[in-house]
Amino acid sequence: MYYLGVDVGSVSTNLVLLDKNNSVVEKIYIRTKGSPIKAVQEGFKILRDKYDNIKVYGAGATGSGRHIAATLIGADAVKNEITSHAVAALEIDREVKTIIEIGGQDSKIIILRNGVVSDFAMNTVCAAGTGSFLDRQAERLDIPIEEFGDYALNSNIAVRIAGRCAVFAESDMIHKQQLGYNKADIIKGLCDALVRNYLNNVGKGKEILPKVFFQGGVAANKGIKTAFERALGFEVIVPKDYNVMGAIGAAILGREIAEKEGKTNFKGLDLASSIFESNSFECTDCSNRCEVVKLHENNRSIGCFGDRCGKWSNRVKAI
Amino acid sequence: MKITAPHLGNVYIAAKALFDGLGIEYIMPPMNNKEALEIGSLYSPEEICLPYKIMIGNYIQAIEKGADTVILPGSCGPCRFGKYAEMQMNLFNKIGKDLNFIVIDAPTDIGIKELYSRVNQISKNSRRRKIRQVGALIRAVKVMNLIDEIEEKAHYLAGYEVIKGECKRLLNSCKRDVLNTNNPRDMIGILEEYKRKLDSVKIDKDKNPIKIAIIGEIYTIIEPFSNLYIEDKLMDYGVSTKRRLTPSWWVKDTLLKPTKLNSLEIKRSASKYLSIGVGGHGRECIGEAVLAQKEGFDGAIQIFPLGCMPEIVSKAILPTISKEKDFPIMSLVVDEMTGEAGFVTRVEAFIDLLERRRKNVLSRS
Repeated sequence: MYYLGVDVGSVSTNLVLLDKNNSVVEKIYIRTKGSPIKAVQEGFKILRDKYDNIKVYGAGATGSGRHIAATLIGADAVKNEITSHAVAALEIDREVKTIIEIGGQDSKIIILRNGVVSDFAMNTVCAAGTGSFLDRQAERLDIPIEEFGDYALNSNIAVRIAGRCAVFAESDMIHKQQLGYNKADIIKGLCDALVRNYLNNVGKGKEILPKVFFQGGVAANKGIKTAFERALGFEVIVPKDYNVMGAIGAAILGREIAEKEGKTNFKGLDLASSIFESNSFECTDCSNRCEVVKLHENNRSIGCFGDRCGKWSNRVKAI
Repeated sequence: MKITAPHLGNVYIAAKALFDGLGIEYIMPPMNNKEALEIGSLYSPEEICLPYKIMIGNYIQAIEKGADTVILPGSCGPCRFGKYAEMQMNLFNKIGKDLNFIVIDAPTDIGIKELYSRVNQISKNSRRRKIRQVGALIRAVKVMNLIDEIEEKAHYLAGYEVIKGECKRLLNSCKRDVLNTNNPRDMIGILEEYKRKLDSVKIDKDKNPIKIAIIGEIYTIIEPFSNLYIEDKLMDYGVSTKRRLTPSWWVKDTLLKPTKLNSLEIKRSASKYLSIGVGGHGRECIGEAVLAQKEGFDGAIQIFPLGCMPEIVSKAILPTISKEKDFPIMSLVVDEMTGEAGFVTRVEAFIDLLERRRKNVLSRS
């Protein structure tokens, strides 16, 4: 008995396979690189090569690409990232009170009380402090992103960086570099600035109580983790599968629904070899001018998205 | 004279009824769309609130269809809306487009004589007799009340319907069909027919759906394009929604304002948290949140445009209400940069939060 979760995010596409105890059997982390369909297929190829004969009894999709992923794989549950992350964290520990989740383009805070989400917030205006910004800075400083956090730990003095806006943070970093500060101190300053920015914007007005879970790709960055601990004054826990928590939540939610319905819509691992094509057009039937995306599998249309009236999306469902 | 008016929810239906009844040519701007917003953002100051930008788009698209006069309800300054008319006149002068403005303000602000002369600017174009003009006005008000009633019913019943999507389909075809006639009497007939149809929608009374109150700044909650069609989405999710602020509520509220007897229930409910008006509908927002909790709603969603002054005040008060009454409230800010993906994620997560809260309460008791 296996359950599959797919999390198609802006930067990475993650797949997890859970067994009947909801423990992770396999996790796959692929860079989305702007083509979610290809990323999902790539993941399925890896799964198919490794687990050819297994049967998947339920599947779920989440992430910003959840709708396209759900149509692609035949997901039983399509859930937003906030719920998925909360479900996954609660599966590990019922005592979690706060989840800090920083992904490729989003940062979120989820407040849990008595095992349910009681409040949440997402970054609204700027993406400073999310994974893709850190990625870019690592690249600019010529440091592999995996080692980025360790640099911060080697520093004793943080350089103060303006972290509110990604563009200004970058110019401030360059300015400090030109003044001659060393890389480690600048990186530590950046980590502190991003944490400050997170707590002042996303976390504004929220009661952050321990236990705190730190999830999402950025949790790999030890510099950010310690900066959070310093700012909050208590331990921040990074769960073992921090980078695929969304996918784990999706798999659990997919399992719940498949068990309730008594069947799964999952299409099987063979879609790795299907040919997918998508095209988009602007519907001109009314003044809403929706941008509609049509998805084809082996020249058969399998789904439409983006229309408001449901004319296109319902048509394919009917087939 | 070819008259137009900016969009505000379903007001265009009543406007059409009024001008058809008066026999004055009415140019309805194309329904709010991305292009209108793009045009509006191009000409408007960047910091101005979203409604202003969409309205500029409406005017320009209406001019393209031949309009030369715009009718705008003024308000002489409860918030930035009070400056809209003056700023927009100025703007059209600057960009060299001819557009005549007729601003309808309350007599307490401009005097009854001035109001009469402004209304006369419109009514003098009507060849109908005075008594028929009054009849047209009465019928237009009736059309407005009817469409508001229909919409309210559809939004509420969406949570109870047996055939999924029936309420939304009826509401959409109602809005389409009502425009097919140029006779206000027929419009009323069509609306009444749809009201009956909605009454006979098969409902499941045992369903107990999630109920959400929509509160906040009046334009962004009434005009679906500006809030990324949140009410339609909630109907799709099978959520019952209620929104107290409607065009018909606004007319009633404005007419009663001088007597101070307007929206008593809302003001009374707000008094513990906000006892004075803070401009716009900030006080109403607070009152509605308190009322929604009292009426057994699961949560409330506050929507307002970026930079809206009154709603920022209420946004700061809402967490206190939320905490004291254990009532989830989510605030959503909209402007031309609002990305749909993040918006939908928040709405979905909020519904999940309400659903799981309910399950949790049930399992604990």
